[in-house]
Amino acid sequence: MKKTINIKFTLVLLLIGFMIAVQYNSMENPKQRDTRDIWAIRQELAEEKKLHSELLSEIRELDNTISSYRSLSDSSTGQAIKDTVDRLHQKAGTTDIEGPGIVIEVRPSAESIAYGIPITSISSDLLTRFVNDVNRFKGINMEIDGKRYNVMSSIRVINGSTSVNGLNVSTPPFKIKIISQTMSDSEKLYNYLLASSIHDDFYLDNLILDIKPPEKDIVISGWSEKFENLYLNELPKGD
Amino acid sequence: MWLPLLGLIFGVSLGLLSDIQIPQVYSNYLSIAVLAALDTLFGGIRAHLQHIYDDKVFISGFFFNIVLAACLAFLGVHLGVDLYLAAVFAFGVRLFQNIAVIRRILLAKWSDRGKNSQGESS
Repeated sequence: MKKTINIKFTLVLLLIGFMIAVQYNSMENPKQRDTRDIWAIRQELAEEKKLHSELLSEIRELDNTISSYRSLSDSSTGQAIKDTVDRLHQKAGTTDIEGPGIVIEVRPSAESIAYGIPITSISSDLLTRFVNDVNRFKGINMEIDGKRYNVMSSIRVINGSTSVNGLNVSTPPFKIKIISQTMSDSEKLYNYLLASSIHDDFYLDNLILDIKPPEKDIVISGWSEKFENLYLNELPKGD
Repeated sequence: MWLPLLGLIFGVSLGLLSDIQIPQVYSNYLSIAVLAALDTLFGGIRAHLQHIYDDKVFISGFFFNIVLAACLAFLGVHLGVDLYLAAVFAFGVRLFQNIAVIRRILLAKWSDRGKNSQGESS
């Protein structure tokens, strides 16, 4: 008799313990309360949707590559791979590129010249800020004072002077070239930069941005250094 | 004595390890179900100590109380009245009463045992 009571109590206690643990789990998570309002959530949703559409377009592009591989006969597979490599090189910014874009000249401000304030190199913070501001626009290629800026590039201070890709940026005036996908993208970027508050930041450093109207053919040079690949290795032939 | 404790520990660890979470909306139901279960458990212990324990009453009370409490909470949500508070109040009061009775019985047993051992020694 006592044994059956014990078993029943055990089962009931097991159930109670389980329920308490589940309740504890549910109360603990999430640890932080979600305090976003509807607009913050909408904004996040919009960002996610943007990411979604970007991923979709990337998938579409890769699908195209696959179908082009499939449609080609064996003899021209080499050509297809070569095309892909060329396209990847272009994407990585190793090739010279020509297209519609804008030229921006960074010059010392008229006041600083009038007052005879010594012209110093542009600060790395300001240059980074400018690059971040411009990078709102997708699909752009940039060259800062003749140095190609891509995802591998770095803006740093080396021995007191600002450098891009390890090469010094000359003291102003120097030119920044930005190439967009289409002429209308260039115009958008031009209009955005004209109205941007980045001018104030430059002016505080006694510099002004002289933004030239969009042009059809602007050439920027490719990434001059060699890529170091630390992760991928070539397989021995025959494997 | 140890078997029920082991059951409790096993249940808690099972719940924590399985990492099951219920939506925030249903947490009210679960909390009230836990309360109902605890009430039945202490009622069972009390009945066992008073020698009036019945298997059928215990098991049926356990499930019936849980379901009733959940139903009350559900009704409360749909009527816009916090009816689950009524269940919390009722179960809370009963819980305290049951624990008080258990305490009295245990105290009485303990003092009886003390008296007996005194009587035997003298």
